[in-house]
Amino acid sequence: MIFVPVAVVVQGNKLFSHLGQETASVGVVVLKDILPLALIPPIFLYVGSTLSGWEIGAEDPIHLSKNIVLLVSLCYFVALFAGFIGLAVLLRWMAPTYDASLELSRHLTVVATVATPMVIGSLAHLYPHIFVNMLVIIPALIWSMFLLYRGVPVLLDTTPQQGMLMASSLIAIVLVATVTLLGVTVVLWTHGFGPSLGL
Amino acid sequence: MDTRFRTVSRSLAGEILMVDSRTYNDRVVTVLVVLSLVWAIAGMAAGVFIAAELVWPTIDMGQEWLSYGRLRTLHTNGVIFGFGVSALMATAFYSVQRTSHVTLFAPRLAWFCCIAWNLAVLAGGISLLAGWTSGKEYAELEWPFDIGITIVWLSFAVVFFGTIVKRKVKAIYVSNWFYGALIIVIAMLHVVNSMAIPVSIDKSYSMFAGEQDAIVQWWYGHNAVGFLLTGGFLGMLYYFLPKQADRPIWSYRLSIVAFWAFTYSYIWAGPHHLHYNAIPEWVQSLGMVMSIILLAPSWATMVNGVMTVAGAWEKLKTDPAMKFIVLALAFYGLATFEGPMLSIKSVNVVSHFTDWTVGHVHSGALGWNAMITFGTFYFLVPRLVGAELYSVRLANIHFWLALAGTMLYILSMWGAGVSQGLLWLSLDELGELSYSFRDIMASMVPYYALRFVAGAVFLSGAILMFYNFVKTMENRTTVTRRIPEVRTARSAVEAVA
Repeated sequence: MIFVPVAVVVQGNKLFSHLGQETASVGVVVLKDILPLALIPPIFLYVGSTLSGWEIGAEDPIHLSKNIVLLVSLCYFVALFAGFIGLAVLLRWMAPTYDASLELSRHLTVVATVATPMVIGSLAHLYPHIFVNMLVIIPALIWSMFLLYRGVPVLLDTTPQQGMLMASSLIAIVLVATVTLLGVTVVLWTHGFGPSLGL
Repeated sequence: MDTRFRTVSRSLAGEILMVDSRTYNDRVVTVLVVLSLVWAIAGMAAGVFIAAELVWPTIDMGQEWLSYGRLRTLHTNGVIFGFGVSALMATAFYSVQRTSHVTLFAPRLAWFCCIAWNLAVLAGGISLLAGWTSGKEYAELEWPFDIGITIVWLSFAVVFFGTIVKRKVKAIYVSNWFYGALIIVIAMLHVVNSMAIPVSIDKSYSMFAGEQDAIVQWWYGHNAVGFLLTGGFLGMLYYFLPKQADRPIWSYRLSIVAFWAFTYSYIWAGPHHLHYNAIPEWVQSLGMVMSIILLAPSWATMVNGVMTVAGAWEKLKTDPAMKFIVLALAFYGLATFEGPMLSIKSVNVVSHFTDWTVGHVHSGALGWNAMITFGTFYFLVPRLVGAELYSVRLANIHFWLALAGTMLYILSMWGAGVSQGLLWLSLDELGELSYSFRDIMASMVPYYALRFVAGAVFLSGAILMFYNFVKTMENRTTVTRRIPEVRTARSAVEAVA
């Protein structure tokens, strides 16, 4: 799976069609693709945070105890895993509107393909400086978006036009989910969880 | 040069004086579209320049008029009032004629609106560079301009509502409800918020004092966002989306319900700009609750738009404009969700005074307002001059630049904003602030550099569009279109579809 995004740039739609024809069951896709993809970033985060501590920007990196880092990494894994599955279910929910395939395994494959560049980008967690991470994640994100717009119509067997609409809807959902996550995090901070803030 | 200028001014005067009640008056629409495009480039370029100033502060070269404080107001006034309002006037004049099946009421007054508005924004922009300011955000222009703006806005109302009054279609189509609300509410906000006592030609003091001044200012400020940047542009969406999709809006009933829910709840939301301020606590809480309620009508509109597009996907094959509208709906969904969320007091206490707010404003301004206008113009300009778009390929490149620019902008400001929120409030073991303002701002430079790149990418797309339109309009004039006869019992919805 990890090589797919690279191969797509070289081979174009051929590889997507090939992936689309594969008839793997939901369980196999989850175990083979989704689970490893959800595991890799938390492992990088754990290693990076325990080795050097997070730098938010101004001076002094934040050092957290190993237990806390382990807890954060675990939560990260759960969030990613649930997020990937959730996105696939959302795609399945949208599928009838855009005349796309109704097979959940295909939706999981789309999510796995699109997530791969971001997972590769999570290598940056090994050096936990917030800006360095952003700098790496942003090109990875553009790459993911390219895969999303290219992949949806082929993998989900719909027209390029309906695929474009479906991909855009997914982007809207991901943006709203991201900002919700930021909001929830901030509410947790203001209620005493996490960093000590002067409130 | 002199002869050419004389020819142009003579032909413009001829166009203003020409009135024919059997045809639509589209020449004023074309001029407004062109002026809107010029303001888009100028206003966004000012934005990119001040973004660069935050990275390289010395590029103002010691000139006061090039300083961040002055250029920032030029940027906001240029894009909101120059680009945004000119586009709204153009599309309101275009659509009200077609949904009413009559030519514009008082067409010479429409020309007055077009010319006087743009001169006011231009002169106002120069006054801002000269340092004139009332100090009220988004209402910086001093009292002589406020009076001028009121006169132009009332003329806009006369032309728009006059056209509605003489309509030949009984029902008033939903886009006109939104444009109508824009005109009435902005008039009310502008007049009340601009009440001031002048002390000289370039200085006045607000009639309101203390917390009343703050409440009135943000009643104005937030509803300018609501009824101009949201409501006005929804009018644009409700007319141009069904036209482009070539089918009626998915649920007309939902659009009417959403209109009234939107109009009722928006007007109360302003105090969320003043959380944890000197204003009464209950006013803050009321503002927060009404902001959260606002999510319902906002998303009802988004669903209506998305479902209308979903049924017309074939159009995406040939029409580059549709892509912009699809994306505009996506960012509209984001911005109208993020807004209510940021109005929650326990989120706002961290997010306020950070660049998260700036990112939020731009997900609306770039993602929604600019995209929906670009989509509308790609539809409108070729029809106005009766030609094919010069280059579909350039329009497609513009689409990707706009998407990349907006995403990059939002992400950089999310990163900067959340970091700032965390760092401003961090306390050390002694209970003192952990970081100084200077340290935090120094750590923001990389995010600001990223934002500068994002803005430059977005601006480059807009320049491509400008070139595309110049080539499309080259050596052409506005096509004269006859007003079709209204058949009996045709509803306004059918007339639009």
